[in-house]
Formats: sequence, structure tokens, C-alpha cells
Amino acid sequence: MPLAHLRQPLAAYIHVPFCAHRCGYCDFTLVARRDDLIDGYLQALAIELGTLGEPRPVETLFFGGGTPTHLDANRLERLLKLVRRWFVPTGDFEFSVEANPAGLGDDKIEVLADHGVNRISLGVQSFDSAILQQLERDHDQPTVADVVTRLKRRFTNLSLDLIFGVPGQTLSLWRETLAQALALQPQHLSTYGLTFEKGTAFWSRRRKGTLAQVPDDLEYAMYAATMDNLAAAGFEQYELSNFARPGRACRHNEAYWAGVPYYGFGPGAARYLNGRRETNHRSVTTWLSRVREGRSPVGDSEQLSPEERAREALVLGLRRTAGIDRAAFQTATGFEVAALTAGRIARYVTDGLVKETDTALRLTREGRFVADSVIVDLL
Amino acid sequence: MMDPRYIRNFSIIAHIDHGKSTLADQLLLKTGTITQREFREQILDDLDVERERGITIKARAVAIHYDYQGHTYELNLVDTPGHVDFHYEVSRSLAACEGALLLVDAFQGVQAQTVANAYAAINSDLVIIPCVNKIDLPVVRTDEVLDEMHTVLGIDPDEVLHISGKSAIGIDDVFKALIERIPAPSGDASGPLKALVFDSKYDNYRGVVTYVRVREGRIAAGKKILFMKAGVSHEVLEVGQFRPHMVKCDELGPGQVGYIVAGIKDLSAVHVGDTVTEANRPAAQPLPGYKPPQQMVFCGMYPIEATDFEKLREELQKMGLNDASFSYLPETSDALGFGFRCGFLGMLHMEIIQQRLEKEAQIDLIQTAPNVTYELLMADGATQRVDNPQDVPNTGMIKEFREPIVRVNFIVPAANIGSIMQLCEDRRGTYKSTEYLGPTRAQIVYELPLAEVIYDMHDKLKSITRGYGTMDYEVIGFRAADLVKVDILVKGNRVDALATIMHRDQAERRGRGLCKRLKEEISKHQFEIPIQAAIGGRIIARETIQALRKNVTAKCYGGDVTRKRKLWAKQKEGKKRLKQFGQVEIPQKAFLSVLEVGDE
Repeated sequence: MPLAHLRQPLAAYIHVPFCAHRCGYCDFTLVARRDDLIDGYLQALAIELGTLGEPRPVETLFFGGGTPTHLDANRLERLLKLVRRWFVPTGDFEFSVEANPAGLGDDKIEVLADHGVNRISLGVQSFDSAILQQLERDHDQPTVADVVTRLKRRFTNLSLDLIFGVPGQTLSLWRETLAQALALQPQHLSTYGLTFEKGTAFWSRRRKGTLAQVPDDLEYAMYAATMDNLAAAGFEQYELSNFARPGRACRHNEAYWAGVPYYGFGPGAARYLNGRRETNHRSVTTWLSRVREGRSPVGDSEQLSPEERAREALVLGLRRTAGIDRAAFQTATGFEVAALTAGRIARYVTDGLVKETDTALRLTREGRFVADSVIVDLL
Repeated sequence: MMDPRYIRNFSIIAHIDHGKSTLADQLLLKTGTITQREFREQILDDLDVERERGITIKARAVAIHYDYQGHTYELNLVDTPGHVDFHYEVSRSLAACEGALLLVDAFQGVQAQTVANAYAAINSDLVIIPCVNKIDLPVVRTDEVLDEMHTVLGIDPDEVLHISGKSAIGIDDVFKALIERIPAPSGDASGPLKALVFDSKYDNYRGVVTYVRVREGRIAAGKKILFMKAGVSHEVLEVGQFRPHMVKCDELGPGQVGYIVAGIKDLSAVHVGDTVTEANRPAAQPLPGYKPPQQMVFCGMYPIEATDFEKLREELQKMGLNDASFSYLPETSDALGFGFRCGFLGMLHMEIIQQRLEKEAQIDLIQTAPNVTYELLMADGATQRVDNPQDVPNTGMIKEFREPIVRVNFIVPAANIGSIMQLCEDRRGTYKSTEYLGPTRAQIVYELPLAEVIYDMHDKLKSITRGYGTMDYEVIGFRAADLVKVDILVKGNRVDALATIMHRDQAERRGRGLCKRLKEEISKHQFEIPIQAAIGGRIIARETIQALRKNVTAKCYGGDVTRKRKLWAKQKEGKKRLKQFGQVEIPQKAFLSVLEVGDE
């Protein structure tokens, strides 16, 4: 078995950078109210995909954004056809598309399903109108319930995204949100502690003192409630922020944490090929013009040394509940786990944050709350 | 050999920024010692750190040739530092001279270091040539400045030259005054050699370069010389002068200033203040030499990586070779491991050494808060010096706790007198005198504990006077005070490197402030961290750092990997400057925060 990063890529990510509006916490690559760029985007994406030379087999495809479903049904169909031309399903094919509840009409749902999409990741974030307003989301609880009902007619694999630790959110409000999400009976849930990213409106509002981060005790309690309540509802936590019914983990995302290669297309998209990490230019217009002019759209890239690659695999692997399997890790990276952790994790083991066995290394439940503290010492 | 009648040795003394370096450059340019092409600003400051800070630290000597009334004169300019920390070096430089140019800025007038340096020159029996500099500035107050010089220093206004180093106004008058007013050096060329070592430096190719001022006799290549104090002899390989680069010459005679290369490999063999004589025909008595420098400010310097300890020792050794006024002794701290207790003339001196270590040696250091040196009268009648708060014994064993006292001379706008006096009263000062230099400026003298002065007195003065006030101080002795050692306990453990000595009346307030500061500096851990201040067994203040409950990156997908990894790497880099103490990681800044809690 070759080292993980040298294996054949079997995952592809397509970035669709359009939204109706940029939410205050969001720092993703996207343009809001620039639908005039969509046709140019589709042309440029065709050119960028053309660099593949020939169609490639993939086990997973993932459309992220932005909001892929912001495209009207017609353009959404063009996008799907274009991408499917270059990627041929193989094995147990997983095809995920991120969607926003607002504006997700049946026409789009039909187009998605007709072109092989078999998993929808719905950006719900919350069911509470005050929290949704704080997050600047443009939907409400009834819309979400309605969309889920309509999606279920065509899809059997639904995921909901939720955000906790929102200013103004209480623990009981968050429990309520979790309950409402479970009531919709999704197969998968992603829960994210709100992050104040540099360059966002939230970041500057926090700096000016007009937006207060929730106390970390409360965030702790919310994360703890998430783990408890979702486990009680039959969900398995398989990564720090991800929960799924048995067999419903997102295989595309698992590829990221396994350190295997993947393709990436579109502005801001990242790829990992031949041990090289590359990220396309994050400006939609720069990406557009570069691709059109036949120039490389790559903004940043880095070639990792073998040890850096192994350490990266170690910290990404620790994000998974299963943690690191020592034997598999050595096969995948060529490094022994023990050699990388020597002298660095003893105190975390003592403090009960890391569990070490002969075959594996993983974070304990308590360790998940402070994963970054552990990770930093392993880099 | 140069006829001593045509030699003049002089320094330029001035308050910082009064134009010393520019005038020096102008003298060198005017005499062709350097060409316009070679000209660079402040040529005498050839150490990077000095250039950045615009101050000259180490004494330098340049030989200038000037034709006057049919004779070629050799004028040796011995440079002096302009900062209060370096009084010691000033007096060293002055001992190699017979005269000094005293520069006073035509707008700023007499400042604290003008006074200090002028008195140092007067005490060394130097002829002073007073100059009002920068007379071409758009705004000057020359007449008032002349009055100030008269009032404070007793200088006759008729003797003052009016010059501009920058615009080369009055430079010929400067040369004329140097030659006519400063006496030629005396000394018997045929007598046994007596040369004063006033500096030395290490050159990678030639070994030790010794800077000397010849008093009597001659010195030339091939001669066997004896360092009288050190008791070692060497053969001279080369003698020469600085013009401003090292230029070889046949010999140096009485009155001349230059260098000796004698194949000496070890700088510690050359003592500044030693007398060089001939091995075969030694002088009967050495020259008076210098008092050893008095280090008043001490701090611990510890390598962050324990493996850098030997490297740090080597670097300190190198530093010490070029700077006799700095000392270092190995010490151990429970908190910081193996390091050195270093002694400095003052705070600026300390900062410069630390910067050089980090810049030139690339050793990451943890520096403890500086403290002054204390004198303890023990119950058994013995006295001992303490350079490190953690060495203070139990109070029961101390009969008297004494601290160094300095006489501080402030020159401030009259409008700020009240605020300066308030500042000094708050800092346990004793008022001595006020003297008006003119209608708008006054000189205030206070006696203050050095500990209250070193850290931020200068900054406070500058902010109170909006930059117009200056200060200078000299140590006048030790005085008993009600001092206590305040310990800091982090999670129940005494952190020796955080111990400080303070006046009992301030202990509670400062202890509280200190705990608060440390709470800000130490980041949250997985557990709760109590921080306490204590005098002996008595806790006087407490703060608690809450446990870190949640620290986890929410999203880490394909597009996030590189960015997040870099973020984590940055956090890791930040942790490098942390010192593990028990279970608690204490950042380097925390060790200095001890200083920042004076007036809260």
C-alpha cells in the first residue's frame, strides 16, 4: 500500500461561490449579489476542469459554497452536467451538495436528484428567530421544516448544520435547537461552535465591544449537551463537530482527515495532490480572469516535508473520534506514532485528555473540549 | 614621532541629540580624514544598536590632522557616550584628554546631561570649550541659552563659540580653539613607557586591539610590553591610529592616542585602566587607572532552550570582553533553570546587552525583572550585597535593609515643577533644591531610591513635561529603608524569579497589582490557577485564573487544513516563550510585568 498522499485521488470538491447575502460570521470565498458572474463562473469552471485532460473516477463529490443552490435550476443543471462529465462515479458513490433552506424550490431539488446528488447538507444553523437574526440568516423554522419535508421525497441522506455559542444563545435555547433538529430526523448533524474569523463583521464587532462572545463555560456546556443529546438519539460522534446515524458519516469529509489526496475546483478551492497542498485564489474575479487567460488559478501552495505531513495527519486524525490507529498510521505516513508523540503528550494522558493504547491514540471526551491545546503540542 | 607640542586630545560632550555626532563628522570631513564618499551619518557609532538608538556607547578615538599657522597638528577625538547609564565610560574617555568641546543646543539649552558631563570634565581638570550648536535652526534662543550656561555652569558668554555642525558654521573657530585653548600634552619621550589602556576590542583577525593614550615614553612594533596590573608581557606586532579605520604607524609617543596589536588572544587579559610599560625598562609606578565600574542594576538572563546555556555563556563572555562595565555570574532558578545574573550600569545598558544577545547571538532569552543591588546589615554585624531578590535571607537575620540612593537632577519647564515634585514624593523622594535657570526653566534636585528611578522615571518625566524635561542621576550611597521581599506563588508554588523587593508601605498595593498583571499574562490552562502575593508566610493578595474549558477548532475540512495548521503553528511558536513551571506555563513577559505595577 503506498503512503496515503500518493494514493489515487478519489474525492473531488467543487466550490460554488454565490450567495444572496454574506452573513456576519462568514469568511468563506463567496460573492453576494453578483449573480452576473454566474455564467462566467460556469465557463471558467469548464476550463479549469478541462485541465484534468480526461474523466476521473471518484467515490465522493462535494459541492460547497457559498450556496450551490443559489444558482437557478437551469444553471444548477448546467453545473451538475459539467462536473459529472469529468468525474465518473465509482464504488459506493457519495455526492453531497450544500444547500440553503431559503429559496430551495422543488425545481432545484428535482435537478439535484436527477443528476445523481444523493446527500444534502442543509445550512439550518438555528431554529430560533432571534438567533437566526443574530446570524443574519434569511430563513425561519417553518421554512426549514417545509424544505426538509420536500427534500425527503427525493433524498434519504440529509445533514443539518447547526451553530452554537451564538451571542444571546442560552443553554436551554441550544437544547431546544438540538431537539428541533432531531425531530426532523436527519441522518447526519454537524454542530459548530461559533468562530470569530478575522475579516468578518463579527470579528470587528467583537473588537469594538458591540458583540460579546459567550463565556467559555457556557460554550463548554453547549458542546457537552450536544454530545449527550445526540448520543441519546442514536447518533455517533465521528469527528469533533460531526455526528451521524450508523453508516451515515460523510465519506468525503473523512478523506480530508485521512490525509489522502483530493481534487479541488473553483475559487478558493483547495486540493491535495502528490503531497502538495494548493489553494485557488480566494478572489472570485481573480480566479475567473486567471482561468480565462489560461494562467494558474493557484493562490497559495506548499509542499510538506515527510515529517510535517505525518504530523498533520496526526492532528487531523485526532479530530476523529476513532483517533489514530497506530498500524494504519505507519502505513499511511511511514512514521511511528510513538516517535511523533514522544515527550509531548504524557501530561495530557495524565490529565485524562488523551487515551493511549497499544493500538491507538485518541482524544477522550474531555479532550475534545480542548483539542487545540493538545494539537498544538503535536505539530 | 609626533612632537607633543602639536598634539591635542579632546572629547565632545553634550546632552543626547545636541549634535555631537554631526559635529564629529564635520571635523572629520573638513580635515579630509574621511571623504564625502566615505561619509556616513554618525560615523563614530559603528555598532548597529548604537546606530538605531542614536547614542554612542563605547569610547572611540579618531586621529585628525589639521594645518594651522604653518604646522600640522594631530587632534585626537576621543568619543564619549551621551547617556546617564554611561557616566563611567565618559570619565574613562575624559581621562585620555586634556580638553572637551561642550555642545549646547541653541534651542533646547542646558539639559541634565549637559550639566552632568560638564561636571565630569571639570572634575577631570579638562579645559572646556563651550559651544552653542545648531545656531542655524529656524527658532533659537541663543541669549537665554548663554544665560543658562552662565547660571548653571559658570561659563563666560564671551568664551562661547557659535557654531552649526550641520551647516559647517564656525568650524574653523572650533579648530582654532582646540589648538589655542587646550594645552599640549606633556610627557617625557625618553622616559620609561607609560600608556593608559582606555578601551579594548576583539578583532577576529588580529586578536585583542588595545586602545591606549601614551603618557610617557614611546611604543613601537617589536617592543616587549608589560601590562602592569595584569602582570603579563607581550611583543608588540603593530601600533597605529584610528583615522577612523585602523591605520598602522611607526610608533606612538607622549600625548598620542592609538592602538596596539600584540597577538593577545584573550580579551580578559587586557584590563581597561591598566598601564602598559616596557618589559625591560618598566615604569616605577602605574598610572592611576579607573575605579572599577559599579553595577547597580541586575537581572537574570535565562536561555529558553536549556541546551543554549553554554552558547549563552560564550556570548556573555564575548560581550564582557568588549564591555568591562557589565558582569555576569551563573545562577540557578527553580523556575527558569540555569542562567546568569547580569549586572549593568543602568537600564539602557541592560536593554542594549539584551538586544545584542538576541540579535547577534540569536538566543531566545527569558529576562527577569531588573532590580537594584541591596546592602544588608546582618544581625551578626556583617554586611552583604544582594543582587537577586531570591537571595534575601529571612527577615529575622537582617538588622538593616539598605538600598542605593541617587541624587537626581531634573531640568524642567517651570510650569511642570509641581508635577515633578509630586512624582518624586510618590516615589519616596527627599527634596533638596530648586534653582531657576531663567524665567521658564528650573533645575530640581531630589534624592530618590534608585529602585524608584530606574524603570520608568524617565518616561514619566517625558510625559509630564511633554518631552521638554531631562534628568540625570548619580549614586550617592546606601540608606536603610523598611524593605520587604514579596514572593509570588503560582498554583501554590513560589516562583523564585518573580520575587521582588519593595517598600513595606507599597507592598499590598503593588502585590495586588502584580497578581492582576500576572492574571492577564498567563493564559488559561486546563485547570484553575491561583496567583498569590506573600510576605514571608502571609498572603497579601490573590487572583485566580479560571480553567480553560473549551479550545477547539470547529471546522477543519479540505480548504481549512493549511490555514488551521498555520494557526496552530503560530500558537505553538507563541508557546516557545513560555517556561514550564510545575504544571503552569508562564510567558516571558510575565517575568517583566513585575515592573509595570508601580502606580496603579
